[in-house]
Amino acid sequence: MQTLQLLISGIAQGMIYALVAFGYNITFSTSKTLNFSLGNFLMIGGVIGFVLYMTRGNPFWLALAAVVAVGAVGGAILLKVAVEPSLRQRNAYGWILATLAVGIILRNAAEVFWSTDDFKFRSPLGDSPIRLFQAPLADGTLSAGLGVYPQELLIIAVSLAIVAGVEAFKRLTVFGKAVQAVSEDKDTASLMGIDQRFVILFSFMLSTAIACVGGVLVAPITLVSATMGTVLGVKAYSASIIGGLESGIGAVVGGLFLGISEALTARFVSTGYKDVPGFVVLILLLLFKPSGLFGRTAIRKV
Amino acid sequence: MADPTRPRPLYLRLAPLLLVLPLLLPKAIDNGYYVGLLNRILVYAILVASLDLVVGYIGDVSIGHAGLFAIGAYTVAVLTASPAMNSDSSIQTFHQLPFLVALVPAVLLTAFAGFLLGFPALRSSGPYLAVITIVYGLIIYTFINEQELITNGTKGITLTPLRLGDFRLGGQNYFYVVYPVLVLVMFVVHNVTHSFWGRAFEAIKYSGVAAESCGISRSYFKVAAFVLSAALAGLAGGFFAQLDSYVAPNTFAYNFSVEFLIALIFGGVRSVIGNLIGVALIVTLPDVFNRFADYRLMVYGTLLLLVLYFMPEGVVGIFRSLWRRVRPVDHTAELAALDRAAAQVDVLSGLRQGEGPPALELRAVEMRFGGLRAVQDLSMTIPRGAVRGLIGPNGSGKSTTVNVLTGLYTPTKGTLISFGEDLAGLKTWQRARRGIARTFQNLQLFADLTVLENVMVGLHPSFKATLFEVAFRLPRARREEREARVRAYALLSFVGLDRVAFERARNLSYGQARHLEIARALALAPRLLLLDEPAAGLTSGEIGEINVLVQRMKAAGVSLLLIEHHMDMVMAISDEVTVLDFGKKIAEGRPAMVQSDPVVVEAYLGKHPTSTAVPA
Repeated sequence: MQTLQLLISGIAQGMIYALVAFGYNITFSTSKTLNFSLGNFLMIGGVIGFVLYMTRGNPFWLALAAVVAVGAVGGAILLKVAVEPSLRQRNAYGWILATLAVGIILRNAAEVFWSTDDFKFRSPLGDSPIRLFQAPLADGTLSAGLGVYPQELLIIAVSLAIVAGVEAFKRLTVFGKAVQAVSEDKDTASLMGIDQRFVILFSFMLSTAIACVGGVLVAPITLVSATMGTVLGVKAYSASIIGGLESGIGAVVGGLFLGISEALTARFVSTGYKDVPGFVVLILLLLFKPSGLFGRTAIRKV
Repeated sequence: MADPTRPRPLYLRLAPLLLVLPLLLPKAIDNGYYVGLLNRILVYAILVASLDLVVGYIGDVSIGHAGLFAIGAYTVAVLTASPAMNSDSSIQTFHQLPFLVALVPAVLLTAFAGFLLGFPALRSSGPYLAVITIVYGLIIYTFINEQELITNGTKGITLTPLRLGDFRLGGQNYFYVVYPVLVLVMFVVHNVTHSFWGRAFEAIKYSGVAAESCGISRSYFKVAAFVLSAALAGLAGGFFAQLDSYVAPNTFAYNFSVEFLIALIFGGVRSVIGNLIGVALIVTLPDVFNRFADYRLMVYGTLLLLVLYFMPEGVVGIFRSLWRRVRPVDHTAELAALDRAAAQVDVLSGLRQGEGPPALELRAVEMRFGGLRAVQDLSMTIPRGAVRGLIGPNGSGKSTTVNVLTGLYTPTKGTLISFGEDLAGLKTWQRARRGIARTFQNLQLFADLTVLENVMVGLHPSFKATLFEVAFRLPRARREEREARVRAYALLSFVGLDRVAFERARNLSYGQARHLEIARALALAPRLLLLDEPAAGLTSGEIGEINVLVQRMKAAGVSLLLIEHHMDMVMAISDEVTVLDFGKKIAEGRPAMVQSDPVVVEAYLGKHPTSTAVPA
C-alpha cells in the first residue's frame, strides 16, 4: 500500500519533469536550441502564481491565466534577447550560455524583488489527502489505506492533457504540420511559404508558458522559492535527454522514469541519494544510445 | 635556441622577465583582504584554464567542472585533515598527510574522473554532453554531501594552514605558493595548446572527420583533453582547499560551474591571459559594486549576454584588436625566413612507390544503408603509381566509395586491400597513417586555424615528441615544430598559397580553399590519394591550376583515385576510368574506350530515342 502511494507521488513528480521536458523538446524541434532557463521560468510561474493567489487572494483561474500570459511573453523576450542574437554568432553553442545567463538573471531577480524564503502554496483542491482502500480495523476505525493528494492527481491530469493536446495539435492542424515541417527542414519549410520565424517564436512562447504552468502545479507539493527551478530544470532536462530530444512520448517516459526512481530511492536507499540512480542511468544510456531512447540517429554525410 | 623562421623582437623575448614583478605585490598591497582576493583569482585562474581546454579547444560545453574541482579540493582536505582542527566532526579516520603528498592523489583521482567523463563526450556533443557534465557534477556533489564519515557532510573540513619550517604560508603568504604554480600551469597550457596537441584539439572541434583523415585519433585526443582538463581542475581544487583552509560542499554546487563558464567567456577563450582577466572580473566585481552585492548574479548574467553579442572574443579580444591597431601584424620577415628555409624542401620527393602489391584492391564491396544499396559488388584494382578516374552521375556512389575506403563507413560486404594490407577494422586515422589521404568534396577546413596551421594538422603523424616534451618545450618538441612549419610552408608554395600562409582558413576564396585541401592531404606524404571532386565549383582558370597539381603529383609517383565531373580533366589524367551508375560498376577501361561505351553515354545522357521515336 505504501509502495503504491509512493508510486503515485513519483508519477506526479515525474509528470512535472515530463511537462518541463516537453517544453525543452518544443523549442529544440523547431529551432535546434534548448532554453536552459526553463527551470527558472517554472520558478517565475510558481512565484507569480503565489503572489496572485496566496498573497493577493485572487481566484485561482485568474492567477493561472496571468501565469500563462507572463510565460508566453517571457518566452518571446527570451527568444529576442538571448537566443536569436547568439544564433547569429560563430560560436556554435552561444545559445547555451545566453539562456543560462537569462536563467541566472531570473533567479536573482526573484530573490531581490520578491524573497529568498520558502513559502507554502495551498492547493486549489485542498491539502487533505483522499483516502482510498481503507479497511475497517478491529477497534471500529478505518486503516490509513492509500492517501492521494488531490494536487498529485491534478498534476498528472493537467500534464497529460497538455502533452496530448500539443501532440494532437501538431498532428491534426495545418499550423501543427507547419511546426513539424520547420522541425524537419527550416529552409524547405520557408520555401513552402511557412513563416519559420513565427513558428519558432510560437514554440518559445508555448514552451515557457508550459513551464510556468508547471511551476503553479508543482508548488503545492514542494514549496515556492526563488531556487525551486534550478534543480528541477536540470532534472526535466535530463528527462528530455533520456527520452530523446525530439520525442513527446520520450519526454513523458523520461520524466516518469526519473520521478519514480527518485521516489523509490528516497524510500528504500536514502533521501540524500535520491537523484543519483536516475543520473547514472542517464550517463550510461547516452553512452549506448547517444540520442536518447526515442531519438533518431542520422547517417554522417561528408 | 630561437627558431630562425620565427623572428621575434627583443622586447618580446625579454617579456618573461616581467613575471618576477608580481612577487612584489603582496608587500606592495599589504592588505590581508586584497591579497586574499588576489590569491583567490590565481587559484580560480587554474580552474578556468582547465575549463578552456574543453570549451575553447575541444569545443564542448562543460557545466560540471565544479565537480572535478571538488574532487581535487576534497581529496586534499580529507588526506591532510587533522583531528585537532576537526574535533567534533563525524570523520572516521585522519590520514594527516603533508599537503604536497596529498596533492598527488588529488590530481590523479580527478584526472581519472575526467577520463570517465571523456567517454560519453566521444559519443555525445552539444546539449547532450552539457547535460552529462551537469549530472556528473551533481553526482559528485551528492556524494560529498552524503558521505559524512569521510567528508563530514555539510559541516565541511577545516585544514591546517601551510607552513614551511617557521615561515607561515597561509594568509597573505599563500601568494608565494600559488603564483609560481599558476605561472607553471599557464606555461604548460600555452605550450600544449600551441603544439600539434592543440592543433589536434581544434581540428577535432571543426571537423572530427577531417581530423581523422589527417591521422589524428579523435577518441585519443578528446579523452586526453578531458583528462588534462580534469587534472588541472584537480590541481586547482587542491590549492583551493588551502586557500581558506576550509572546504564545504556548498561551494561546489551547480552555480559554481556556471559562474566559471561565465568567467571563461568574459575573458575570452583560448588565451591564458583571457582566463586570468575573466576570473579577475568575476572575483572583483562584487567588491567593486559592493552596494549591489545582492544583484551580483543579475550583473553577471547581463554582462554575459553583452559579452556574447558585442565581444565574441571576450575582453582579451578587445585588447588584442587594440594592440593590432598600435602594432599591425607584419609577417614580412617571417615569410622571408620561411621562404629561405622551404627552398631546401622538395615536397614531392620520396613519394615514388617501389614494386609490390597494388595500391588498392576492392573485392565485391557492398555498402547498404537500410534498403538502399549505395554501392554494390564493386571490384577494382589501382596499380601502384596509377591514376584511376571514378566517374558517374550524381548519386551513383562515388563519394560513398571514398567514405568506405577511408573507413568512415564499414562496408556491409567485401574486402579492401591496400598495399597488401587488409583494411578491415582499421579506423580512419589508422588508414591515414598508412598513407591513405583524401580531400573533401564539401570543404572540411579548420576554419579558425591559419592556412599554415591547416597544413600542419596534415603533418600530425610526423610528430614524435611526448606530451611531456611538448609541455616543457624540450628540444625535440621545438625541432619537430620548426621542421613541420617549414615543410607546411613548402607544401603551401607547391599549391601556390604561400602568400596567405598566416590568413585564417575561413577567409580564403573557394578556389584557394580547394588548393588548401590538396596541400593538407599531401602533407600526409600519401601513398594513395583520394581526390573527391577537387575541381568542383571552380572557374576554368582554377581548374587548369588543379589539373597541373594533379599532373605533378602523378609524375611524382603517387597513386591517385580521382573523382571528377570535369571530363576533360579525368580523361586527360587517368590511366584507367571506372564508371558507376546506381552503385554498380557499368564500365571500366582506358579513357577513350569508356568514352565511347554506349552504356556510359546512356547513363549520362539517357537512352537515345532511335527505335521508339515518332517521326516528325
